[in-house]
Amino acid sequence: MAGFLSAHGYDPGPSQRPFLAGAIAGVLATAPAIGVLLWFGSLKVEAQILGLTSLATLCLGWAAMAAAGALYARIFGRAANHVRGAWLFGMAFGFGLWAAGAVLVLPIVSGGRAAAGSAAFGMAAAMLVWGMAVGILVPFVHRPLHESLDSGSRHAEVGPSAAAGKGRPIKQQRQDDRG
Amino acid sequence: MEVFSLAGRIAGLQTVDLVQQLSSVPFREWPLLATGAALVVHLSIGVCWAIFYAFFFWGRLRLPPVLQGLLFAIVPALLAILVVYPELALMRTSMDSVSLDPATYFRPLSSAVVASLVVSHALFGLTLGLIYRKPVGYPSDHKPSPPAARRQGSSRARREEGSAGFMFATGVECSYPTIEHGKWRRDELESTRHYELWQHDFELARHVGITHIRYGPPLHLIFDGPGSYQWHYCDPQMEELREHGPEPIVDLCHFGVPSWLGNLQNPDIGKALAEYAGAFADRYPWVRFYTPVNEMYVCARMSALDGLWNEQLRDEGAYARAAWNLADATIQMSEAILKRRPDAIFINSESGEFYQPCCPDEDIRKIAEEANARRFLPLDLIYAHPLTKSMHRLLMSQGISQQDIDRLAHREVPKRSILGVDYYEWNERLIDREGKPLALGELFGWYVIASQYWQRYRRPMMHTETNKMDAAGASRWLWRQWHNVQLLAKDGVPLVGFTWYSLTDQIDWSIAMSEPLGIVYPVGLFDLNREARTVGLAFKHLIELYRDMPDYRECKPLQELIG
Repeated sequence: MAGFLSAHGYDPGPSQRPFLAGAIAGVLATAPAIGVLLWFGSLKVEAQILGLTSLATLCLGWAAMAAAGALYARIFGRAANHVRGAWLFGMAFGFGLWAAGAVLVLPIVSGGRAAAGSAAFGMAAAMLVWGMAVGILVPFVHRPLHESLDSGSRHAEVGPSAAAGKGRPIKQQRQDDRG
Repeated sequence: MEVFSLAGRIAGLQTVDLVQQLSSVPFREWPLLATGAALVVHLSIGVCWAIFYAFFFWGRLRLPPVLQGLLFAIVPALLAILVVYPELALMRTSMDSVSLDPATYFRPLSSAVVASLVVSHALFGLTLGLIYRKPVGYPSDHKPSPPAARRQGSSRARREEGSAGFMFATGVECSYPTIEHGKWRRDELESTRHYELWQHDFELARHVGITHIRYGPPLHLIFDGPGSYQWHYCDPQMEELREHGPEPIVDLCHFGVPSWLGNLQNPDIGKALAEYAGAFADRYPWVRFYTPVNEMYVCARMSALDGLWNEQLRDEGAYARAAWNLADATIQMSEAILKRRPDAIFINSESGEFYQPCCPDEDIRKIAEEANARRFLPLDLIYAHPLTKSMHRLLMSQGISQQDIDRLAHREVPKRSILGVDYYEWNERLIDREGKPLALGELFGWYVIASQYWQRYRRPMMHTETNKMDAAGASRWLWRQWHNVQLLAKDGVPLVGFTWYSLTDQIDWSIAMSEPLGIVYPVGLFDLNREARTVGLAFKHLIELYRDMPDYRECKPLQELIG
C-alpha cells in the first residue's frame, strides 16, 4: 500500500511539464478509444447527433481529447505520474468526461438528442478506455520531457531572493546570483 | 453489494442488480459471457473506488474509519443514481439515439431503486471503512523485506573522505517508534519506499550537491537480540555510501528501540545500544560521523510525557527516566565507538525549543520555566552541564543516585562533539493562560534559539534539521534559515553545517506518526515519486553558490575537529 502514497501532493514539480505530457498522452490514448467507438457503431451515431461527418467528428474529438489529456495531467498533478495508480485516475477522469460530455453536454448542444443502445454503451466504454490509456501513458510520456534539476524552475524563485518572496526566471537567477 | 442485491431478491424486495443491468447491455447474444464480463466490470469498479478512497479521501477527516467509508460512499451512490442507472436504461434500448429531457432521463429511478442503490452503496462504504484502517507500518513482530540489491557501477561519484568543507546536508527520514502500546511499528524508511529506492535516493542527494547525509539504519530490524545482527538491512546502503557518498552521519537510534528491549523506561538500553554501536563501528570502520541518539528530548517527551510513542506514558517522572536512559545510552554508545574509532565525530542532534509565558502570572511563568528546564535535561547530562534544581530533584525522585548523576557531571565530554540544533516553525511555544503550549511560529528564529544553546554548552554547532510543511513556502524558509546560520557564524559561533530534512516527503509528519494514517507531507527536496520539489532546486542553487567560497570550502571549525 505504501507505494500508492507517492501520488500525494498534487502540485506538479518544477521540473515537470504536465500540460505537454498530458496533451501528447491524450492524443495517443484516443487511438484505442476510436477502436471502441467503431466497434459499437458509436462514432456514426455521435456524428449524426452533432450533424457532422464521421471524419470531422473524429478530428474534433482528437483535439478535444488532447485538451482533456492536458487538463487531466494538470488536475491530477503528481498523482498522474504514479505508474501503479495512474490508470485508475485516468479512468476516473474518463468517467467524469463521459458523465459531463456524453450525458450532459452532448444532449444540450444537439437539442436534446442523446446516444442510446449499443452506441451509448460504446461511448461510455470508449471514454473509460481513453481514461485508462491516458493514465497509463502519462508517466511514461512525461519522463523524457522532464527538465533537469539545473533548468527546472522556470517560474519559482529558487535563489536568495526567495527569502523575500521575489520571483525571477531561472536563467536570470543564475546570472544575477553569481554576479 | 452483490450479497445485498441477492438477499433482497430472495426476500422479494425490489433491489437493483447492477451486474444484471450491465450484462444486459453488451454481448446480449452470449448471456454467460455477458454475466461474466459484468461481474468483472462491477468488481473492478469497486476496486477502483476503493483505491480512490485510499488515495484521496482516507485520513482527511478525523472520524472513525467506518464513518469515513460511509461518507465516501455518498460519491459513488450519487453517480450511480444520477448518471449510471439512467444511462444503463438508455443503453438497453434498441435505438441508436433518443430525444432526451430530464423527465425521460430520470424515469427509470423509482423510489425503491433509489433506496436500493443508497443501501447497497452504504454497505460498500461501511465494508471499505472496516477493512482499510492502517495503510502504513506493520505489526511489531513482523519484518519487512530487506532492501533492494545494490546495482554496481550506478555512479561515477567518489566519496570525499576527510573533507573539511562546510556540511551541506540532508537526511533520509528513518523514524521507527512503536504506537498502540508497542503493537504497531512505524517505519518511515519502509513507508517512503527507501528500502526499495535507496540507491536512487543517494543518487538524487548527489545531484543536489549534498556533501553529508544523515542516515539511520533500521536499528529495530538489525539488532534483533544480544549479539545478533541482521546487517543485510543496511550492508548494501553502507557500501554504496562508502564508495560514492555523500558522507554519512550515521544516526544509530531514531525514536525507537527493538521490541525485545521494550521501551525507553528500560534501564538496560544504554548497555544494549552500546553493544550495537560497537558492533556497527566494527563492521563499518570507515564511518566517522555519528549521532548516537537522535533528539533525545523529543524522543523522551513524545514517549513518556505526551503518551504518543513507545511506552506511551504521560508522567513527568517517566520523562526523567526516559531522558536519563537516552543520555546514558548516548554516552555509552559514544564510548563504544571511540574505542574502535578514536577520531570519531559526534553530532548530537537535538530539537531547538523555547517556551514563552503568555503573561506575568506566576503559575504560567513557572510552567514555562519548567518546560525550558526540561528541554535542556538530556543535553545537560551528556555535556556535563550543571542540572537545574528541578530536573535534579526529578531524577533523584526516579531513584537515580547522586553518585550516578556525579558520574555524568564529571565525565570528560568527547572533544569532537558537535551540537546539532534542529528547528521547525512550531519549536517556539507560548504557554497560554490554561498552561498549555501553543506553537508560536517563527517568533525569534533559529538564530536566537540556537544562541541560547551556544551560550549554555559552547560546542561547535550545526543546523541539523529544518523543513516547511507548506511546499510553496519552502524555498523562502530554506533561505531564511540559511541567513540565520550565516548570522550566527558572523557572531563567531563555530558553525559546521546546514541541513534540509529530509530528502523525500514524509508521512504523518504533522501528527508525529502517532496514528498510521499514511498522509504524505510535502517537506522533502523530492516527493515520494522522487520528483524534485522547488526547495530541492533551491538547495542545489544555494550549495552551488556557497560551496566553493573560501570559508565554506575549508570550514575552519570543522577542520579543527577533524584535526
